[in-house]
Amino acid sequence: MNATLADLAELRATIRDWCRAHVPADWRRAQTGVGDDEFVAFQQAWFQELRRAGYAVPHWPAEWGGGMSAAEQMVLYQELAAADAPRLVLAFVSIHHAAATLLTAGTDEQRRRHLPGILDGEIWVQGFSEPEAGSDLASLRTTARRESRAGGDVFVVNGQKLWASGAAHADWCLLLARSDPAAPKRRGISYLLMDMRSPGLDVRPIRNALGDSHFCEIFLNDVEIPAENLVGPENSGWQVAQATLAAERGMTMLELAERLGNVGLRSLVETCRRPDAAGHRPIDDTLVADRLAGFDTEIAGLRALCRDLVERHDAGTVGDASQAPPAMRRSQDRTAFGDAGQAPPAMRRSQDRTAFGDASQAPPAVRRSQDRTAFGGADASVVKVYYSELLQRMTGFGAEIAGLAAQTELSKPASSGWESGRWLLDFIGSWEWTIPGGTNEIQRTIIGERGLGLPREP
Amino acid sequence: MSAHSSELAVAAPADAPGVDAGTDEGADEELRAELRAVSRDLLAAAAGKDDAQVDWALLAEAGWLGLEVPDGLDGAGVTVAETAVVCEELGRAAARAPYLGTAVLGAGALLALDPGDDRDELLRALATGAPRFAVALPTGDAPLGAAGVPGAVPFRLARSGGAVRLTGRAEFVPDAAEAETLLLLALDEGDEPVVVRAAPGQPGVEVTATPVLDVSRSLGTVAAVDAPVEAGSVWRFRGDGRAGGRLLLARGALAVACDSLGAAEAMLAATVEYASVRHQFGRPIGSFQAVKHGCADMLVSVSVGRGLVTEATRALAAASAVHVADGADGVDDAAMSAVEVAVSRAKSYMCAAAVDVAGKAMQLHGGIGYTWESGVHRYLKRAALSRALFGSPTAHRARLARHLDADGAGGAR
Repeated sequence: MNATLADLAELRATIRDWCRAHVPADWRRAQTGVGDDEFVAFQQAWFQELRRAGYAVPHWPAEWGGGMSAAEQMVLYQELAAADAPRLVLAFVSIHHAAATLLTAGTDEQRRRHLPGILDGEIWVQGFSEPEAGSDLASLRTTARRESRAGGDVFVVNGQKLWASGAAHADWCLLLARSDPAAPKRRGISYLLMDMRSPGLDVRPIRNALGDSHFCEIFLNDVEIPAENLVGPENSGWQVAQATLAAERGMTMLELAERLGNVGLRSLVETCRRPDAAGHRPIDDTLVADRLAGFDTEIAGLRALCRDLVERHDAGTVGDASQAPPAMRRSQDRTAFGDAGQAPPAMRRSQDRTAFGDASQAPPAVRRSQDRTAFGGADASVVKVYYSELLQRMTGFGAEIAGLAAQTELSKPASSGWESGRWLLDFIGSWEWTIPGGTNEIQRTIIGERGLGLPREP
Repeated sequence: MSAHSSELAVAAPADAPGVDAGTDEGADEELRAELRAVSRDLLAAAAGKDDAQVDWALLAEAGWLGLEVPDGLDGAGVTVAETAVVCEELGRAAARAPYLGTAVLGAGALLALDPGDDRDELLRALATGAPRFAVALPTGDAPLGAAGVPGAVPFRLARSGGAVRLTGRAEFVPDAAEAETLLLLALDEGDEPVVVRAAPGQPGVEVTATPVLDVSRSLGTVAAVDAPVEAGSVWRFRGDGRAGGRLLLARGALAVACDSLGAAEAMLAATVEYASVRHQFGRPIGSFQAVKHGCADMLVSVSVGRGLVTEATRALAAASAVHVADGADGVDDAAMSAVEVAVSRAKSYMCAAAVDVAGKAMQLHGGIGYTWESGVHRYLKRAALSRALFGSPTAHRARLARHLDADGAGGAR
């Protein structure tokens, strides 16, 4: 244990030194207001810089260029945040979703083809959502029809994808399409890897609330995808997709929490300490000071929550009922009111409940142990809901305190998150966290059902 | 060591001094898990009785009073992190137990003092449950103000007529009315914080009970007017007296935050149980999003609160170990500030969240939640008292804001 701690301290020092030498000075200013090409070039260059140090894909297995333990990754992300390094925005889907999919369900050939490609800068986009399939993703309508060709089977794909972030720059797409229209909706979907240079593809940017065009519509018109690009068995794409969705909320949440706790909190304190023309500082107002301290506390809580998840994951105890927060062990416990004699009638009834029927009704601890993804179950949803809404409240507070001056900040640094200190832009951008990746309404349902074992919706 | 605390001795090496108990995280986790399981079983039985009164004998026999008392003095020789577990479980059961006065503050105060035969004897007695203790210190917002501990110490020693006399008043002192031994936080003639030992009946000292809405708690006022004090009853903290006083106040605030964590988890669990069995419109109310999402929010805030409480517990345990081990050098100001920041975050967040969670529990239980019989009101009252005791959320946040202003969140790393 002590050796491990010493190793971690050494790693921390190494990363800290590396950051001092390699984080581009003044990148925030240089990246503010830049065009698309400059953003992509900067992202690619920073990615290669990290790659050379072994910091680009620490979560991958060692054989593919990663190999850091969860504890080591935690140190890495803490130090990158403390050094205010640029974030890997462009490669996000590539190194997390695409890699998780390939490593979990891909063939050796698919891994050999794409994992080194990603390290060389291959950009991936997610083609999941559709105009009629948002929160209800499983009802997606894009079709994939299997046909024979001289060179082997292909899937002929038709339909429309929405909210594909970064599709304009993407080389490859993670695509969900319906391959068996007759099957129940979760059993007729296939997971395909689509070359974005394929004929029949039309990518059209959508302007978001900030006026940027990072996410796109993808129109698919008889696009042919070789059958060898199928991930996992045909018609089990929904199950494969679960792995990618979980990857979005693992260590990445810890990184975001650390960003919020470093540059985010520093900017907020700075905003509250900046004197106005008359020399008044917002922080000298009791109400402002109270709210600021509240955000400091909530950010500390978010970081503690993320660290706890990572530590439990590293110890292999995520999903272990004995280590789960007591609220999740509820089903094994006596009621909160001691014995049945003291409990009110309604609560006494609850103890008479018979054994759980099927897996979907099993106590949370049971289902959690069945969950094989790193940050599965409700833990990831708890973090997502809390982070995104804290971000929204905090950036809203920043915009309120910064007042009219915040209205004049028309662009934020590319390659930064939504804690840039350009409060109004950050605030508007914060909806990028409460809506995508499963809206917070969907997340709360997941928390209720998977985390607390509440009855499912009809 | 008494036989019943042998369960603890299994996990805690018998020869390990308390100071070193924080070095092996894995074994500590195991110990706490076992302590948690045992506490929950014992308290679940006790909680079934009228007003959830926990027998004093049970506290002593379980070994919970002397958790932090060194092995050599019949204690278990573990840290405040283990005391925190018991506090959390007491909150979960909404138990009425004089634990704050004796085990949290009494043991905490004695351990922070310069060692000596009298002190050691008293610690040994505490571990075996002989006298019940109350520690008279400021339990409101005052010590969180800019003046800090020296400005808020409730008692003062002065020499008059050849004798040292004690004067002052502390209100809302936990477990004061039942205490047989009082430890009073006072400033000596040199304005140094010290601890004065007194007995409730002694001349010039008066203890009165303060009835409060939360009947699971016992509070009282300790007042002294020119009470003569023997020289042997004035005890100095190890090292800096201010640091000792600050650590003691941090313990109180943390213990109450742990209590709120347990209470909030109990309310969440009860609400989930109820929402799973109570049917309306032909289905369990927990299947409705309005109810389900309310429960989800409760879990989110409890999870965040647990994170903050855990961090604060670690910080306090580390600082307490340093204070006890190093004596004169003790805990430096930066380390003390780090403890206070962590405790203020935990206390302000968790104690406010517990009131919200208990309130939401009452709401989601519907009519039955508002009945006396349901018991939800006991948790709501307990959470409300905890929110006010050892500093309101507002006062803790004011202290945090001063820290933020001073270092510009430069210590965020």
